[in-house]
Amino acid sequence: MRDYLDDRSLRLRRERSDQPASARPFVLAGVLCLVALSLIYLDQQGIISPLRMLLQQAFSPAALQLTGLRNHTEDLIGAPRSEDDLRATITALEQEVSQLKAENLRLQQAQVENESLRQQLQIQREQPWHLVGAEVTVRPPDAGRQVMLIARGSADGVQVGMAVIGQDPSGPAALVGVIESVGTHTAEVLLITDVSSRISARVMHAGQAHLGLVQGQWQRGSRLSIGQVDRSAAISPGDAVVSAGLTGSLNLQLDLATVPANIPIGSIEEINPGGQGQSAELRPFVNPDQVRYVWVILNQNE
Amino acid sequence: MGYILLIGVLALVQVTLLRTPLGFSAPLLLVITICRTLIGMGAAFRDIGMVQGVRWAFYSGLMLDILAATPLGTHAFALLLATITVAFATRRLRIEGPLLPLLAMLVASLIYESVMALLIQPGPVMWGDTLRVALIPGTLLALIMTLPIFFLLRWMLRA
Repeated sequence: MRDYLDDRSLRLRRERSDQPASARPFVLAGVLCLVALSLIYLDQQGIISPLRMLLQQAFSPAALQLTGLRNHTEDLIGAPRSEDDLRATITALEQEVSQLKAENLRLQQAQVENESLRQQLQIQREQPWHLVGAEVTVRPPDAGRQVMLIARGSADGVQVGMAVIGQDPSGPAALVGVIESVGTHTAEVLLITDVSSRISARVMHAGQAHLGLVQGQWQRGSRLSIGQVDRSAAISPGDAVVSAGLTGSLNLQLDLATVPANIPIGSIEEINPGGQGQSAELRPFVNPDQVRYVWVILNQNE
Repeated sequence: MGYILLIGVLALVQVTLLRTPLGFSAPLLLVITICRTLIGMGAAFRDIGMVQGVRWAFYSGLMLDILAATPLGTHAFALLLATITVAFATRRLRIEGPLLPLLAMLVASLIYESVMALLIQPGPVMWGDTLRVALIPGTLLALIMTLPIFFLLRWMLRA
């Protein structure tokens, strides 16, 4: 094991030594800092991004396996432990199974598709979207940005700016994020909760739709907010918010401006009056932190 | 070459298995890098020990950048700054007992998280929110992992 930790043997000091480290390691560290800064610059210019994407793709299968292992472990840990919990779970499951059987009989389904495909079919039946399903491979290790990697790329028709949706078991299919960059078999998704994510949206209230701009708030301690809603517009907690499909026409400095209209985003939790327009805190229909499987909207029927 | 492979495996573990409900991963590679540097600074040949710490920081950072979809060099720069600071601060100290590793990790984690916030957050950094959402939880996680990893690494390197 020691050989893997070091390439040279290391003798730990037993006696006190007042001999400080020389300047040589600090010079090396300084040089490496300059190399790192140069790499950042080159990556931001897009010169070495393809190389990074290629390496990312090479690690993707292993990351997918490990993420699956983690999800499986999470499920095991989250499973009920006490006898009462188990009984309650069994009762709930029996009711659910019963309902599912009845539904299956009504619809004369011969067999049950796997959950992800079934969800995809259901979404495609209800919405005019052409979807491609994708597993979430890696989530960011840092608190700074809300992004995730998915196991689909340009080879599957995925392009920058496409909307990515997910679905919680009890909720509608809803917007999770937007494709930010694409490799051949992987893509990075900027989550709607990231502070740099801005999507044009409509607040649905009593048959009327009021325009606004949904922005991520994760780095500010919450999830989502909607702003720039007309002060005279009547909105109230519980109102649904859907994408407006107008992000491009709002003239924002964004590559991510091709989100189709009418994708559910969330519901209004708390209204903050004041300023030139109204703003409100939103509760997203799908928690982007929890999704394990998502769908990319490739295009929609006109 | 062996330790670069090990860093790759550890980076994969950090971004997949060690994800926390707080929305980010436990900073395994930061903790290992700083512990490795501290142990190196306590070795008979400090220069060699520090060089190894610096190399761990650089390779770990690059590996995290590849896996985390951040511009190449971002994590590397943050880890290098944290490592240099710790190495500089402890260059004349005798590293024994649990207090110094904990203090070193506190400083290193605050530097690492601050540099990451500066490099990857879009727009001006809101320091109050960053402190609450990233710096404090990230530093606490790093401190919790410090002592077990420090003593395990020291035992492995002495064995």
